[in-house]
Amino acid sequence: MTSSDDKIEQAAASIRQAYETGEACAPVRELIGETDLDAAYAVQEINTKHWLDAGRRPVGRKIGLTSKVVQTQLGVDQPDYGMLYADMDVGDGEEVAHGRVIQPRVEAEVVFVMGDDLDEEQLTTADVMNAIDYAVAGIEIVGSRVADWNIRITDTIADNASSGLFVLGQEPKLISEFDMRLCGMVMERKGEPVSVGAGAACLGSPINAALWLARVMAKVGRPLMRGDIVLSGALGPMVPVSPGDVVEARINGLGSVRAVFAPEG
Amino acid sequence: MSNLGNLAEIVDEAARNATAVPQLTIDAPDLTPDDGYAIQAMAMARRLSRGERRVGMKMGLTSRAKMIQVNVEEVIWGRLTDGMRVEEGGFASMADYVHPRVEPEIAFLMGAPLSGNVSAVEAMNAVEAVAPAMEIIDSRYKDFKFTWADVVADNCSSSGFVIGNWCAPDTDIANAGMVMEIDGQARQIGSSAAILGHPVRSLVAAARMVAQWGESLEPGYIVMAGGATAAEPLAAGMSVRNNVQGLGAVSFQVEA
Repeated sequence: MTSSDDKIEQAAASIRQAYETGEACAPVRELIGETDLDAAYAVQEINTKHWLDAGRRPVGRKIGLTSKVVQTQLGVDQPDYGMLYADMDVGDGEEVAHGRVIQPRVEAEVVFVMGDDLDEEQLTTADVMNAIDYAVAGIEIVGSRVADWNIRITDTIADNASSGLFVLGQEPKLISEFDMRLCGMVMERKGEPVSVGAGAACLGSPINAALWLARVMAKVGRPLMRGDIVLSGALGPMVPVSPGDVVEARINGLGSVRAVFAPEG
Repeated sequence: MSNLGNLAEIVDEAARNATAVPQLTIDAPDLTPDDGYAIQAMAMARRLSRGERRVGMKMGLTSRAKMIQVNVEEVIWGRLTDGMRVEEGGFASMADYVHPRVEPEIAFLMGAPLSGNVSAVEAMNAVEAVAPAMEIIDSRYKDFKFTWADVVADNCSSSGFVIGNWCAPDTDIANAGMVMEIDGQARQIGSSAAILGHPVRSLVAAARMVAQWGESLEPGYIVMAGGATAAEPLAAGMSVRNNVQGLGAVSFQVEA
């Protein structure tokens, strides 16, 4: 084992420990550097294998860093992705226990559910649209295992793209039934609008994000498959949440969805 | 009163000559927002005496984020004249402004008079049409800095507006996505829901606020509901377009 492999293993162990203990860890860029995306995905992959071996059921992917503003903040020109597992699914309006996600924040997204496999590497927008079974509004509850969200690109990739939990809306729509680029989004916390946006905020359109993901996943040998859930990326700014918060997101044409956070104690 | 009249002349001349002036509250620190509205009314009378025609009103600071940003506690309103209209697809000239910015908006066209405390249903029943729109805001104060009283006196920074195609009044405007592009690049992305949670709330507030000054939203008036996103600075040569879900697009060019 080379020393860089060793550091990748250490980074993976550090993140896993944060998951298990609920105590955030130091940025892993201290081990793997700030720019080596391959090393960061190698960290993520070690933990993916660990969790698959442990019996977690993979159910799809999340796409992160889909906003130009966030990409600029992190000094990157592409999104990133992480794995979704069945145990991350929270029902619409179902209470999320306090402490289940470290440093939780929420964002509203268009969620696609795949109706076909996308296992060809050379994919088109049409392939992706053809393969989508339906779309729903979603709230992603992101979290960071890195203390104080002190992340650079390699930290978040290594940390499974800062994924936490997700809530799916229950008004499935065909993608022909709403305007994916111009759909308005408003997210309220305790009735107060805290994040607004539109489909275009996600790489110009959530479909563009899904195409990017489908191509990358086919290339790395974990293609999107029928039934996979794709959280396509935030339509507006991410917002921190506290115990007792109730968050509702509405995406025009896709209905609404709620994330409820248990009060403290 | 003559003092307020002098202040009205200052802001009116600043707007007419497109030159920045110091904040009124530097020399008159006790000015209240109500004084600001009195100054605004007098400055507007000067504009109308030069032959401009009143065509409606605008609402400002319609998002809580903006109220906090400029330390003002409620929505504000200003008066629109035909001289502020920029033709859809036409040109706005930098020479007419001090340091103009543009905001994506929704506009209402009134079909019936509306004034006082009204419900959202009464407000919508008075609307003849809705349209995608943009407002050019331009504070006449140096560095775009002002107090609540200052900005109200300065007609709430209103200086230009452009209106797209009028759509049926029952068009869904609750949560319409908006993408404002400059030279084809998306620069501001938001939703009409940013306007007080629903643009009709802005119209309800407009009816209430004009009534306090003895006015009514008259048939044919345009009511600009307020910015849905942060404003973008304008510069000569820009092509600006606002695309609104379900309402279409509105655009203009900026010339020197």
